[in-house]
Amino acid sequence: MSGTTAERQRLGAGAAGTEVGPGTRRRLRPAGYLWILPALVLCVGLIYYCIAYTAVISTWDWDGLDPFPEHVGAGNYVRIAQDPIFAKTIEHTAVFFVVTFVVQTALGVVFAVLLHSKVRLAVVYKVIIFIPVVLAPAITAPVFRRLYAPDGQFNWVLEHIGLGSLAQPWLGQESTALPVIMAITIWQWTGLTFVLYFAAMAQIDVSVLEAARIDGAGNLRVLASIIWPGVRGTTVALGILSAIGALKTFDVPYLVAVGGPNYATEFLGTYIYRKTIAQSHVGYGAALSVILLVLALGFAILLQVRSREKETTG
Amino acid sequence: MFEVRSRGARLLLQLVVTLLVLPFLFPLVAMVQGSLAGDGWGNYAAVLAVPGLWRFFVNTVVIAAAVIVIVYAVTMLAAYGFSKLHIRGREVYFWLLLACLTLPEVVLLAPLFTTAQAFGFFDTYWAVILPLAALQVPFAVLLTRNFVNGIPDELFEAARVDGASAVRGFVHLVIPLTRPIAAAILIFTLIGAWNNYLMPLVFLQSPEMQTITLVPQFFVGQFSNDQTKILASAVLTAIPEVVAYLCLQRLFERGLAAGALK
Repeated sequence: MSGTTAERQRLGAGAAGTEVGPGTRRRLRPAGYLWILPALVLCVGLIYYCIAYTAVISTWDWDGLDPFPEHVGAGNYVRIAQDPIFAKTIEHTAVFFVVTFVVQTALGVVFAVLLHSKVRLAVVYKVIIFIPVVLAPAITAPVFRRLYAPDGQFNWVLEHIGLGSLAQPWLGQESTALPVIMAITIWQWTGLTFVLYFAAMAQIDVSVLEAARIDGAGNLRVLASIIWPGVRGTTVALGILSAIGALKTFDVPYLVAVGGPNYATEFLGTYIYRKTIAQSHVGYGAALSVILLVLALGFAILLQVRSREKETTG
Repeated sequence: MFEVRSRGARLLLQLVVTLLVLPFLFPLVAMVQGSLAGDGWGNYAAVLAVPGLWRFFVNTVVIAAAVIVIVYAVTMLAAYGFSKLHIRGREVYFWLLLACLTLPEVVLLAPLFTTAQAFGFFDTYWAVILPLAALQVPFAVLLTRNFVNGIPDELFEAARVDGASAVRGFVHLVIPLTRPIAAAILIFTLIGAWNNYLMPLVFLQSPEMQTITLVPQFFVGQFSNDQTKILASAVLTAIPEVVAYLCLQRLFERGLAAGALK
């Protein structure tokens, strides 16, 4: 019994599968169906309706207007399987997820540890790191287009720190466009990673840290053996959120580079938009959407299950 | 977390943080600096003088406020239900809701477009408010449920023994005790609604309905691509959000610390 509260608090992002609480008590609780109904009606109603609708459209060859769309069965899916741009979007998503997640986690942990130490003006640093999170990509996109332009501030800085030979049209060439998109995303979301780690680290028992120090553990040892395992739940939750976020990526690549040059920054989201809205291949876009959904759900379930296995064995 | 005794080490720590923060500061400086290039403050005057600019703000405020109200109400009810009340097969419902987290808004475009037109929602606030709220609720419920789980059951049981109904438990316990997490929900929802680009782009076609995320595009037309004015408009549209975050920063951190994602 005494373990229930701790067990509940350990439940990570959506790790709700386990039955919690003693059953005898629950029978006395009032029924909660009506309380969750509005949320279910809004989300499940609207979103599942859209998913079902999308699944139906995905079997059509449809321009979005024709009242009598042609039914093509799995035709769209067969075409997607042979679509080289689709393969590219998957590759971009995978690279994007790994790079942004690793860099954001590293930066987030480092910032959180440093700002939990005795650093002056910690609030100022916190605010600077978090401000990008609240700014809309639609608002910052013009800034970044200027920043990474051939005559932009980024090249200007490179020239002034003696790296002028590296100056190049960052967004205009295939080789550097995707890294720039990733850099912008990291700039935007590290603040969130940091805030969540900062909050998680505040929960670590100070006496454990002190005990380790008395036993002679140095700062890095404390970080590796106490702090990092202590925030594991946050890391898992952020891993799931970033994987889903990578699959959903739309705003930054679309607004900064319009998926270009030559599809170098095309993601599933931007490709769906291009197909559905710009080219009016609504059926094809819907089939892409269904694939995206299956991937996102699969990822979420996989990561959730893996993290739980680890928890029980480790 | 790190223990630094000597002055030198402390200075080194400070230096490291400062160096790491610079790349984050740089684009913000570039934004403000760019907005003051050329005509200086004149850029801001020119942007503010554009007729109809306030419409963008008003539209965004209306949409964000409606989304926040809906998300807050729906989330608090659901978190209470999931955490403290009896629901058979509760995890099934919870997962149904959480699955929505994985849904990208692009997927909603085609079905919502046809549906909104069929019901006459197209080009109204509702066409943006409802899907935005639906997309925000799952994450909000996830955070709030974890938070409410941290409130001891004994409190609710004591209230029940004293004859309080579930409704009174909600009004007198859940609402006041969840204030920190409510601040986090408020910030996340505000960010989500205020910053959304795709929904207004597709569903709000007439100029007097559009939101501030469409402002840069609008100004590309208005000022024939004068970057300084566009950056000035970017700074102006960013100010309300930064102010909101600064005001709620303390509560926001407390809410996250009290068991948001663990």
